[in-house]
Amino acid sequence: MNSLFRRLLAGALLALAAMGGAWAQAPANPAGSPAPADSARLSRRQHRLGEVRVRAIGPERFAVGSTLTELDSAVLAQYRGSNLAEVLQARTPLALKYYGPGQLATIALRGTSAQHTAVLWNGLNIMLPTLGQTDFALLPVGASTRVSIQPGPAAALYGSGAVGGAVLLDAAPDWRVGHRGSVQPEAGSFGLVGGNLDVRAASAAVAVRVAAGYREAQNNYSYLVQEARGPVRYTLQNAALRHQWSFSPDLAWRVGRAGELSVAAWLTDTDREIQSGTGIIGGQARERDQSRRLTLGYRHVAARSQWSGRAAWFEDVLNYRDGGAPSNSRVRTTQAQAEHTAALGARGSLRLGAEAQHFAALVDGYGAVPVTENRAAAFALLRYDSRPTLRLSANLRQAALPAGLAPLTPTVGLEWDLLHPAANASAAEAETAAPAAAAAASETGKLDLPPSLPYSVTHLLTFSASAARSYRAPTLNERYWRPGGNPDLRPESGFGYEAGLRHRLAGQPGLVLETELTAFRQEVDNWVQWLPTAGTGIWSPRNLRRVRSQGLEASTALRRQRGHYTGSAQLAYHLTDTRKTQGAPDDPDPVGVQLAFVPRHQASFSTDHRWRGWLASSTLVFSSYRYINASGQDYLPGTLLLGATLGRTLPGPAGTKLLLLAQASNLLGQAYESYPGRPAPPRSVGGSLRVDF
Amino acid sequence: MKNLTPLALAALALLASCDPKKEIITEPAPLTTSVYVLSEGQFGAGDGAVSVFDRTAKTLTVDAFGSANSGAKLGDVVQSMGVQGNKGYIVVNASNKIEVVNLPDFKTAGTIAGLTQPRYFTSTSATRGYVTEWRGPYTGYLPGVLSIIDLTTNTVSSRVTVGRNPEQLLALGGKIYVPNSLDNTVSVIDEATGTLSSTITVADGPGSMVADKDGNLWVLCSGFVTYLSVPPYTATRVSNGTLVRFNPASPATQLKLTFPGTASPGQLRISPAKDQLYYRFGGAEYQLSTSATALPTTPFLRRSFSGFGIDPRDNTIYGALAPSYNSNGRFVRYQPNGTPIDSFTVKVGPNGFVFN
Repeated sequence: MNSLFRRLLAGALLALAAMGGAWAQAPANPAGSPAPADSARLSRRQHRLGEVRVRAIGPERFAVGSTLTELDSAVLAQYRGSNLAEVLQARTPLALKYYGPGQLATIALRGTSAQHTAVLWNGLNIMLPTLGQTDFALLPVGASTRVSIQPGPAAALYGSGAVGGAVLLDAAPDWRVGHRGSVQPEAGSFGLVGGNLDVRAASAAVAVRVAAGYREAQNNYSYLVQEARGPVRYTLQNAALRHQWSFSPDLAWRVGRAGELSVAAWLTDTDREIQSGTGIIGGQARERDQSRRLTLGYRHVAARSQWSGRAAWFEDVLNYRDGGAPSNSRVRTTQAQAEHTAALGARGSLRLGAEAQHFAALVDGYGAVPVTENRAAAFALLRYDSRPTLRLSANLRQAALPAGLAPLTPTVGLEWDLLHPAANASAAEAETAAPAAAAAASETGKLDLPPSLPYSVTHLLTFSASAARSYRAPTLNERYWRPGGNPDLRPESGFGYEAGLRHRLAGQPGLVLETELTAFRQEVDNWVQWLPTAGTGIWSPRNLRRVRSQGLEASTALRRQRGHYTGSAQLAYHLTDTRKTQGAPDDPDPVGVQLAFVPRHQASFSTDHRWRGWLASSTLVFSSYRYINASGQDYLPGTLLLGATLGRTLPGPAGTKLLLLAQASNLLGQAYESYPGRPAPPRSVGGSLRVDF
Repeated sequence: MKNLTPLALAALALLASCDPKKEIITEPAPLTTSVYVLSEGQFGAGDGAVSVFDRTAKTLTVDAFGSANSGAKLGDVVQSMGVQGNKGYIVVNASNKIEVVNLPDFKTAGTIAGLTQPRYFTSTSATRGYVTEWRGPYTGYLPGVLSIIDLTTNTVSSRVTVGRNPEQLLALGGKIYVPNSLDNTVSVIDEATGTLSSTITVADGPGSMVADKDGNLWVLCSGFVTYLSVPPYTATRVSNGTLVRFNPASPATQLKLTFPGTASPGQLRISPAKDQLYYRFGGAEYQLSTSATALPTTPFLRRSFSGFGIDPRDNTIYGALAPSYNSNGRFVRYQPNGTPIDSFTVKVGPNGFVFN
């Protein structure tokens, strides 16, 4: 896995990084914990951000005890033209329910459903309010500079929907003075054509970035169907991605000595044919999805406090047409957030905040009149580092929904460094370096170091644990769809906890081994299911069941840098056991069966190598069989997918730099269905040429 | 990569061994004791199925077609099935085809293609079959057709335009009666000429028909409901359901029994002796004598069956239950008096039974 299970950083991202002079005197951490210890701790986890003079604190700082999987910029750079679903499928062992290339793709974090993962863009929830979920095929990667996944319930931080976890997309300003950019045309199998552009410019006071991307694909690949007369080859019909545009300009402006104003937009427009099951002849469904997202934010960061305010306006259009029948929807979401963060003594920080959302939906399924709904929430987040090696957080959120208060959602977490560099140092004094290295080598089996070299091996072993409640507000469709909408639906509520160990071993310079093991368990109560109502047969959502998900997440990553070579290898494994444990009497789905489309086992192995101008990556992702419905009998077989990337960087004309990339997926040529009746693409290749200027 | 490939292929083989075991194929049940249970399948998954229940051995072969034909899928929405001699005709609605199988082993005997939205099949001889087909999208249905099939070549030999959304047709006395469920008519096609001979007006929404022991035709009409598109969005009943009886010789003389407006009736069946009618109404199953002149007010069975049938060989009642389209369904067997006997699990969306 290329995604590193990283601990968060006080703030690199959301990061209205910014303002200047005031910061020079301020400690790196506005919460006021001792700067040297903190920055030392931080720098081991992430690149130093020397140019960033001010760090705003992101919400992850209060997520102590949770894991954060981050797709680093090197990986994102390889997948800039792709959508988020493709990157996650190629590089992580996360389970996605996926109808085909460019088609609906939803995530099942820790075995939960599509509506149980909150998706935030620059800190704002962008889940479609009507469906309460996010189609990851509609989110081109190039618009974001950082993608991270925090599995596990985290409603106190991220609000409604963060039941199985949260996916955080951020576009951080690039404050390197000057201008730079890249343009990258691409082409691939089955009529894939596209390109993307990323242009950045910054002065001391203003940073601007514009990212844009386009893609289209025919997806007219062939597949084999076992018919009674024998195998018959067909070409996929009505599955084209007609176009996908993404345009995301953002601007950050340092105002005065401590303020930063930011404006960002993200416009996406996708026109796609909706592939029906291969057993359905003559499907002509089309869908047009358009999202327009605008945010305006101001942040003030002082020595011992910071505050910020944000306003956002989103418009999401989803127009579906099957043959002659249109089903159109348009939702406008207006929201505002305000928060204040203050230092609590030398070791703590407290954030208090509130947010409000207003939805105005014009949806064919709700009738001709717009439906409006208001939601609000208040939260308190506390982080306390009682010692540099023991970090604690306690958070709380209370949301108010139209039908009443949502469940109160607290979170507590701790991280405790059982072994840390200071301890290593004192231990090292008592030993010679060589025995330590030998011990390390025998322990990991991966270090192959000449014993005579003087170097020190440092271990960092951290125990982390957290527990949280979560909730999911009923979606607009669940409340207002006619017929069947249920205005009395209660929010789903979740409770979960996890514990884990993280070990980091730094041996000889340029060699790092990081290993992480997390066990989790969580329950979702009042789980909503649409079922036909007895008598009328009208489908209606009801709070019907309780679902338990438990499992293990293990990963290990070895990173090596030597001379011109930089490389890494990552191995990850997820065990996910998700079952309905209890249901209402009229809930027909059986108890105790693994939920549909949740593979019990997933594993990935990826390697990345860079040497001089070359880069090479490979990923092998295994997914065990998945049941296709609640009965737990019929299933899609397990899959093993191999992908690879080969790249070469060359000097280009006029001071530019060229990156030639070739990518291949499903190299083993496995014939499989990503969803019943939806054949996945066979072996396919693509290439792109990026020009950096 | 070269080093990886054999490794990966080995892993693939290993991977297949991780999947759950497939069901074991058993010997086909003999024709005389077979009951065919149709499952629509999950829409889009192409996994509609016909299960074979052996009423003597009480064994079930789920998805007999797949088992007999190397795992081939039947397709999307197994709508209905007809039997002619030792051939079965499985109508697969969204896949626009009829799969022809040999009975009792379900091995393929061809496919009837060139159909659009096929619904129900019947046949009058080993060479002649009929299938109703809908036309047009669901936003604007057009008059449907009755396609006449040459069963020796499994091709459509001619088509007759009927009313909108033709449903459960009935062959009787040299005529094919086709209820047009989006109209209020029954189209009558002359078997000898293969042309429309008359159109009988009944009531709104005729969908299923049976012939009783006295030679009368009974047509069950569901009535029409529309939903308001503005608040308060209530469902509005345009017309109530009606059970219509007439003699084919004098179709204009009709007995009409009108249902309350609380629900839409459907799924008319008749007992093997052709003297008791069964239908579904408001989440229950009702029974009515063919000599009755009023509708019963007390249900025969308080269950909402997604399919219903009576085995002509022993009068056992079969009721299908499809709790959702996200889990397997089942069927329950009842003694003729309504006492439950046993129940069996079948694939998603059971909707009907076929008896030899």
